Amino acid sequence: MTLHRSFAAARVAVAILAGLVLAAPALAQSAFSDLPRKETLILENPEGTIKNAGWFNIWAISGGSQSNGLQQVAMDTFWYIDPEKGLDGVWDNSLAADKPAYNADFTEMTVKLRKGIYWSDGVEFTAADVVHTVESQSKHPGMRWSAVFALNVASVTAPDPYTVVFKLKKPNSRFHAVFTVRWNAAWIMPKHVFEKVADPRQFDFNKPVSLGAYVLKSYDPDGKWYVWQLRDDWQRTSIGRFGKPGPKYLAYIDPGPPDKRVIAQLNHQLDVIHDVAPEGMFTLAKQSKSSHGWFKAFPYGHPDPTLPSLIFNLQNDTFKNRDVRWALALLIDIKAVSMASYRGAATISAIGVPPTGTHPDIYHGPLQDWLKAFELDTGKRKIKPYDATVGQQIAAMLKPTMGDQLPTDPKKLAASIGMGWWKTDPVAAQELLEKAGFKKVGAAWMTPDGKPFTVRVMVEGEARPVMTRAGAMIVQQWRQFGIDAKVDTAQGTLITRRAGGDFDTVISWSVETWGGHADLSFFLDSWHSQFVQPAGQPQPLRNWQRWSSPELDKIVEQVRTVGFDDPKGIELGKEYVKLAVREMPFIPLMSYNVFTVMDDTYWTGWPSADDPYTNPVPNWGNSRYMLVKLKPR
Amino acid sequence: MRAFALYGAKRLGQFVLVVFVGINIAYLITHATPIDPVEQSIAAVTAYGNTSPEAITMMRAALRELYGMNGTPLEQYAGFWRRIASADFGPSLSAFPTPVTTLIARALPWTIGLMLTATLIAWALGNMLGGLAGYYREHRGLRAMGMVAMGLHPIPYYIVAFVLLVVFGYLWPVLPITGGSAMNLRQAVDLDHALSILQHSVLPAASLILVGVGGWFLGMRALVSNVVTEDYVAYAELGGVARGRILRSYVMRNALMPQVTGLAMSLGTIFNGAIITEQVFGYPGVGSLLVAAVYAGDYGLVLGVTTISIIGVSAAVLLIDLAYPLFDPRVQHD
Repeated sequence: MTLHRSFAAARVAVAILAGLVLAAPALAQSAFSDLPRKETLILENPEGTIKNAGWFNIWAISGGSQSNGLQQVAMDTFWYIDPEKGLDGVWDNSLAADKPAYNADFTEMTVKLRKGIYWSDGVEFTAADVVHTVESQSKHPGMRWSAVFALNVASVTAPDPYTVVFKLKKPNSRFHAVFTVRWNAAWIMPKHVFEKVADPRQFDFNKPVSLGAYVLKSYDPDGKWYVWQLRDDWQRTSIGRFGKPGPKYLAYIDPGPPDKRVIAQLNHQLDVIHDVAPEGMFTLAKQSKSSHGWFKAFPYGHPDPTLPSLIFNLQNDTFKNRDVRWALALLIDIKAVSMASYRGAATISAIGVPPTGTHPDIYHGPLQDWLKAFELDTGKRKIKPYDATVGQQIAAMLKPTMGDQLPTDPKKLAASIGMGWWKTDPVAAQELLEKAGFKKVGAAWMTPDGKPFTVRVMVEGEARPVMTRAGAMIVQQWRQFGIDAKVDTAQGTLITRRAGGDFDTVISWSVETWGGHADLSFFLDSWHSQFVQPAGQPQPLRNWQRWSSPELDKIVEQVRTVGFDDPKGIELGKEYVKLAVREMPFIPLMSYNVFTVMDDTYWTGWPSADDPYTNPVPNWGNSRYMLVKLKPR
Repeated sequence: MRAFALYGAKRLGQFVLVVFVGINIAYLITHATPIDPVEQSIAAVTAYGNTSPEAITMMRAALRELYGMNGTPLEQYAGFWRRIASADFGPSLSAFPTPVTTLIARALPWTIGLMLTATLIAWALGNMLGGLAGYYREHRGLRAMGMVAMGLHPIPYYIVAFVLLVVFGYLWPVLPITGGSAMNLRQAVDLDHALSILQHSVLPAASLILVGVGGWFLGMRALVSNVVTEDYVAYAELGGVARGRILRSYVMRNALMPQVTGLAMSLGTIFNGAIITEQVFGYPGVGSLLVAAVYAGDYGLVLGVTTISIIGVSAAVLLIDLAYPLFDPRVQHD
């Protein structure tokens, strides 16, 4: 082969390649084949690429996906509580015709079912499906709701096709929560499908039969996309009451790393991003007029009803004294933490309730006076640690860079950035530590035993960069004070270590609420000391701090006897808040702001802070309510 | 012939030993991890729902039994090797009850397809250009290509991948940046699907080729510039043999030997998958499967992927060892 001939060949090859590349725009299809883009809503599935792609049996614990559209649009259950205001109020009777009816001592719950609801294969939904759901999972341990039913339900009967009666093993005023969707709940199984199956744990339920308004159209065997199509008989589903859902096709996809999600939405090939780093959010806000978050302006993100906090391991001797915990809290500058983690786009909270949904109006606002008057005894003097203006201070810090993107109305500002937090007070922290018997030797603090005061802050690493940055900033602030603080990265192992109590402190959340409803039992019930495990044993969720408090137990026990909607529940909730402030078992930081970004190019009618009719975060079961309001552009 | 048979038997024995030791090491490491697949499953199930602490205890016991995690470590080890004998790695613990082999069988064709093609193209292109550059030293075009190759070679792969992503996905969006084929396209053996796969493989393959060519180019160029100084090349030139014929039959053929060995080793490692490629371009493959399995503590799946990888690399080395005399008659087994 001469040089001349090889170069001739190379020239031909380059010409062909160039031709292909130039022709690519013509050859380039849209992201989807055969789906009309104007009728398709493309959403991100944060579960990523699904290993067990063809597995739709949501009741068996497996690597199948739940938020690929399966729980959002194919499943249904009795009730939904909205994390925001709801389409028609916070509480929605979905498959149930009415609210749950308990007997006087909460040992029996009766549910009346909605009539005229049909599975996608034409079979009517009746009480028999509910009975099967409970009995099948009780009989086969290891299914998603096996344990919950086995522990609570003594018997379930259907006196008629539209009535279900649960007899409970012990009084439980919140048993209905099992069937009330906050992200998910116990979904109803189709009896006519599963009764033919020998072992429901080994059945893949492929193709799934839907109770919701959409059926599975196609999916990727490699787990990257799922396409759902609106049922022709959508009026025979519970969401049909609100009107015809706008999108005919739904595509839940795995768009890849955050950078690719931003690119995909800039190319208008991704209508809903589930979450993205703050920097990605700012990029979209600047570069795309059609992209917007929950807040049209800064801080953009949707505050989930979850409360990232600095959680102490209260079985660790160092943190048993609450003066030590308060000292550590007073050393944290929440402004710096907010800037480091969320670049300021955080909603801070000083109390143990997320600043989201209806909570600011029910807890944060009404408790401001109590917080301002709250006094702490440092051993040398009494101080009032609460500063109600921290939210405004953060806004002032952001003004030079964010300027016109910040809300000016103080009420809107309080809703987006938060109200107050604890004043950074190293002098008071020193006094508190000395009161607890700690001594400063040179530049370092020593415990009462004479050992160096060491604290590890466990974070999740790259898997959760925002929270990791918050932890790193807190470590820095404690180190500046003379405490030997260290970041302890537990990527992949955080869940196991958090449950096992293998940590000093951890940046995580032990507080999660309904959002739209004031009741706190969703997390608070599990904080009763009856559930606290001895050191070394895995702690069940959610009392990661292993807080054992007789005062708290009294509150929890009283909540158990009070009805779900009883206003006394809110008073008890406030008692918990005050107790948590006094004891500081964990240091609340901010709400979990999810940067869900929506694109107006093909669809309008999105929920937002100005029209909070539901939660747009696409992996929540509650997000289905968005579909009835979305209209093609 | 007898010498070869003896050598072959020895090498085969070595191969079996390496694979056996490798799998055992993988088994020990995966079972030593602090990540407990049962706790991971429970965490996933209870991450959002409202589950009581007693329910968790029940779930834990049920899952341990379902996943077959009861029994002494020795019993589990024995059971593991019993299943391996029938090429059964058991069910995946994070994708229960789907068998590990099913998951791997789904992902492996994508990995093999992409990596095999990219490796072969990079090898062929790199060696061809390197050979030309090493022989025709005065050619300016080839010298320029050499500088480009040297420039690209040290750039970390993920940077090349991301630059391609941004250029062809965002600045000039003409190529797809996610997936193995177009979404909602029926996965059948037809022209549409084949074209879609081809289109989706351009960027991932291009990123691998761009980064891979440099190494082969530089290596071949160095080898060729060594070989051209040999006596037989000088003799052929003096003898009036055509330059092209010298390059093809005298220089390249001799310089290619180490590159063939290198190719065989590279081909063996394609079973590891290209994790960064799969992450950046959303390409389905065993790399992502392995990473997800490690995080979930799914030792069945981790062992499945690493076993295939161990066998792949060892087999490639074995084959090249046995076949070497075919390429280079000067080498003999004794």
